[in-house]
Amino acid sequence: MLPSSAASYGSSSQVDMMVPEQFPVGLGVLVVDDDSSCLRILETMLRRYLYNITTCSQATTALNLLRKKKGYFDVVISDIHMPNVDGYKFLEHIRLEINLPVIIISFDERVIVVMKGIHHEAYDYLIKPIREDELKNIWQHVIRKKWNGNKEIEHSGSFEDNNRR
Amino acid sequence: MERNQQLRRQLAAMRQSLFDQGYLDEQFIQLEELQDDANPNFVEEVVTLYYRDSARLLSSIEQALEKSNTLDFNKLDTYMHQFKGSSSSIGAKKLKAECTQIREYCKAGNGDGCVKTFQQLKRDYATLKKKLESYFQVARQAGPKEIASRSK
Repeated sequence: MLPSSAASYGSSSQVDMMVPEQFPVGLGVLVVDDDSSCLRILETMLRRYLYNITTCSQATTALNLLRKKKGYFDVVISDIHMPNVDGYKFLEHIRLEINLPVIIISFDERVIVVMKGIHHEAYDYLIKPIREDELKNIWQHVIRKKWNGNKEIEHSGSFEDNNRR
Repeated sequence: MERNQQLRRQLAAMRQSLFDQGYLDEQFIQLEELQDDANPNFVEEVVTLYYRDSARLLSSIEQALEKSNTLDFNKLDTYMHQFKGSSSSIGAKKLKAECTQIREYCKAGNGDGCVKTFQQLKRDYATLKKKLESYFQVARQAGPKEIASRSK
């Protein structure tokens, strides 16, 4: 049974909507990965930092959650490779349309190198298997970015010029 | 509690042999370190999730390999890449190595090599599953807090 500070949205079984009554203090993290063991590992690591974690194994579920619960989530951690989904489009949508910081996770280093090449500082990246201390470091970086929201928009303007969709 | 001591010794020995025989690597230790009072069965849960998810992937791979005349090496390589990734989450060392081997055979267009190595992978996958199931069973008997003494 999960504690009330985390809710899980699975794909295979029924979707149990366990929404907390009050929005707890602490940052809202949405973790998206079709690999359930990875999801479980990340959830456990993140919970140690007392964040409010929601896990999700499907991109469509993730987008619905992000739209419905705007303001609840502060950061998204997502694998870029998910079957039947354009991971790249999905992440760009979160970053630009929904306007949340995204940490990309992948066990494929090459994918990360390519993404870095295209997007530079726009995303943060972690290679699986992820160590707990890596999560800690990246987290500070993400918070800093969020607080520098205005500066980020200035910077991302120049990225968008280079990356016309 | 002599019985408990015996169980713990048995548990430590089982664990050590999994490492010695090359079935598990560092990553498994990472999982053990995440196990605590809040998550007393964490390692077992993660392993269970892995076996559940990977079963589907394995049958896709088997289907791909059945078409031995028209083997789609690209597809197979993608599957193996995926399987290797998820196996690395639980520290399944042998399985990772076998995935790498099959990917090499895919690059070389060696269908026979793929099939033979995959048969070995399936055996090791099943063996690891059995060994881990026994391990967790003894762990549960030995007591919830103690999974194994991590002797170096």
